[in-house]
Amino acid sequence: MSRTDLSAATSLCGLLLFSSLAGIAPARAQSAYQPAPPGPGEADAPGKTGNKFAGPSPFAPQAPGVNAANIPDGPPAEPGEVTPAVEQISSHPAHGDWPAYGRDTNATRFSPLEQITPENVGQLTRAFVYHTGSKPAAGQTNKWAAETTPIKVGDGLYMCSAMNDIMKLDPATGKEIWRHEAGVKYASIPYTAACKGVVYYTSSTVPEGEPCHNRILEGTLDMRLIEVDADTGKLCEGFGYHGQVNLMKGMGESVPGFVSMTAPPPIVNGAIVVNHEVLDGQRRWAPSGVIRGYDAETGKFLWAWDVNRPDAHGEPAEGQHYSRGTPNSWATMTGDNALGLVYVPTGNSAADYYSAMRSPEENKVSSAIVALDVKTGSPRWVFQTVHKDVWDYDMGSQPTMIDFPGQDGPVPALVVPTKRGQTFVLDRRDGKPLLPVEERPAPTDTDVVGDPRSPTQPWSVGMPRLGLPDLKESDMWGMSPIDQLFCRLKFRRAKYEGEFTAPSVGKPWIEYPGYNGGSDWGSMAYDPRTGVLIANWNVTPMYDQLVTRKKADELGLMPLDDPNFKPGGGGAEGNGAMADTPYGIVVSPFWNQYTHMMCNKPPYGMITAIDMHTRKVLWQHPLGSARANGPWGMPTYLPLTIGTPNNGGPVVTAGGVVFVAATTDNMLHAFDAKTGKELWNDVLPGGGQATPMTYEQKGRQYVAIMAGGHHFMMTPVSDVLVVYALPENK
Amino acid sequence: MAGLYRPRRAAEWATCAVAVLLVLLGLPLLIMGAELALLGGSFYYVVAGAAIIAGGVLMLMGSVSGALLYLLAWLLTWPWALWEVGFDGWGLLPRLLGPTLIAVLVVLTIPVLRRVQKTSLVRKGIA
Repeated sequence: MSRTDLSAATSLCGLLLFSSLAGIAPARAQSAYQPAPPGPGEADAPGKTGNKFAGPSPFAPQAPGVNAANIPDGPPAEPGEVTPAVEQISSHPAHGDWPAYGRDTNATRFSPLEQITPENVGQLTRAFVYHTGSKPAAGQTNKWAAETTPIKVGDGLYMCSAMNDIMKLDPATGKEIWRHEAGVKYASIPYTAACKGVVYYTSSTVPEGEPCHNRILEGTLDMRLIEVDADTGKLCEGFGYHGQVNLMKGMGESVPGFVSMTAPPPIVNGAIVVNHEVLDGQRRWAPSGVIRGYDAETGKFLWAWDVNRPDAHGEPAEGQHYSRGTPNSWATMTGDNALGLVYVPTGNSAADYYSAMRSPEENKVSSAIVALDVKTGSPRWVFQTVHKDVWDYDMGSQPTMIDFPGQDGPVPALVVPTKRGQTFVLDRRDGKPLLPVEERPAPTDTDVVGDPRSPTQPWSVGMPRLGLPDLKESDMWGMSPIDQLFCRLKFRRAKYEGEFTAPSVGKPWIEYPGYNGGSDWGSMAYDPRTGVLIANWNVTPMYDQLVTRKKADELGLMPLDDPNFKPGGGGAEGNGAMADTPYGIVVSPFWNQYTHMMCNKPPYGMITAIDMHTRKVLWQHPLGSARANGPWGMPTYLPLTIGTPNNGGPVVTAGGVVFVAATTDNMLHAFDAKTGKELWNDVLPGGGQATPMTYEQKGRQYVAIMAGGHHFMMTPVSDVLVVYALPENK
Repeated sequence: MAGLYRPRRAAEWATCAVAVLLVLLGLPLLIMGAELALLGGSFYYVVAGAAIIAGGVLMLMGSVSGALLYLLAWLLTWPWALWEVGFDGWGLLPRLLGPTLIAVLVVLTIPVLRRVQKTSLVRKGIA
């Protein structure tokens, strides 16, 4: 079946679902379940019906603090024209620089530096450490995972703290040159206090030598765009409202922490393209996943891409809002200046594990790469990686642009990693796969009424799979036969039919690969000289179960914006209320809940090198040691390479070294790019859940890693950026 | 029917403790193993659990055959483990490490149990 046929079929399914749902709606009336978004006529404050479980109306005004900087909004804007831009340095980075999150516009995570080689990497020592100052204060629940990759341009190392302060450091000493305090409040932290990076922008209208010729742009947890002068850290007055743009404009009802930006927004031909995370698992009619364009010079609104208002590219009229519950995109996007496109890795519609209330438009673009025209905000093409996703297989990775070796020369291609461990390779011009993609039958058996699954799912059969075979009972693990038996029993008690096992209410189901990947937000590294792709990935199944609304209420699952919400009552990863739907969701790792050891045998994390000329695996092995992991969360101090879960990407250098932290052993690892042999490692002061970067300053090559830790990965939190170099004068 | 023997010396108390340990470890294997077998899973655990409990009870009754029964179950665990996971070290770890450590303890009880058995036979002979 071709892809177009399939999307047509899914849209039809969506329509059928909607009508069948309308039929069962009355039976669910007592559970405050609404099959469609409330219309303007029902616009009112929460609690009007007297039902304490009724959520706030999406038309309710935004609560105080949602527009974090109290920026005046002004009237709704029509689509606008972008100020013509100059070419940005990230298109042609200087030899020793790392000017963008993925180093360059192509997001290769490849550096041409050669000072550090497999021969001398063993001598790396700490050149300096820098404290960002951002970590949980006494009494605050740990929601930290900085995930930051600094950028380096000329004489500055620019980065953000987990709570969005922007800093310029001396790249040779780590001395803070300036700091812009963003003033983000604890309440604005969504699932995680993260700031993956900042963006370097050179103005086309401000002459060189004047303030804000070169600027640092950042998106914040509390939904602002901020532009500051790269030399002084002072706000750029000409951008937005005194240097800031309020991204909550047009979003409708929300509370702090519901919607936030954690990824650096790309600037494509002068347009800042903004996506945002909407906290998973809260409610079907959560704030919109709209993608918007803003003028990089002025902060002026340019366009919106709002899935359920496909023809309206302006801001919503007064008293209205962007369509709610649509797929949100939280991954780092990739901009393509030559084709005038931005590649948006999309997630799922709100309420990840129940798909019966999604519109046909949503079903076409969820868990997909959507190529938007940066002039208009209209999609030019869509490639979907999961049809009707109910497994939280949202796209976490930033896609990488490569020249794919074709028959008539190189083809502009996009490498698309997924949580499923399927890596798709697409033609950037039309989104057509360059390597074969097969629609294969997927399990459809489900006890979820009125929510049928897609009969097929896409498999990228031309690329090596970053995954292990389906689970068997004998793969269950433990320290002894007893805890192993416990996991075997858990395995047999659950529903499991391989990848894409459909959700279930009657008993738990096993989701494998889990929502941590395969490939998650770490993305991949690509050496364009050798054509070698480096990827680290996870082997972490999940144990999921849908629960009835009554059970969800008993469990205290409530959405963030519910007046009765108590912190800890369900977050992005883990249990969720999925309010407005008939079900809540209970999710945990597929582990022994008494020993906190995974139920499947190791490895839990791997690293792979793929030759893109032949698509053969060059080397592949478990990633991460057992030293900081063990039963009951106790470190074993065993130097055994067991392969741990990992979050954070790899870096590859012309010197022939791969750097990756990411693992739960809290180490930075260096591998030989040719053989995969581990050459060096160092224990970090916190979990290394971030992508490292490398740069040169005054003739010396440095390697930097943010050791911020990760609350969900249960690695130690720190506020330390650790920077390594070879000893001087040797 | 023979009752439980009464431990007198430290070695006998230790043997008794090993026997109790076997029963305690065997019970979850038997109970969860039975459910696993009913759900279509491996029969190993319910069978091993029954054997280990029986071994422990026999040992508590002062019989060498209890220890030998455990060792037989332990010996048969090896071919089963290799059949299930081959020579995969991580896979063999939960299947063999713990049972082998306990097998060492059980071997140490054999001389004690021999003596207990002899004494009780002598006593029975006298009576």
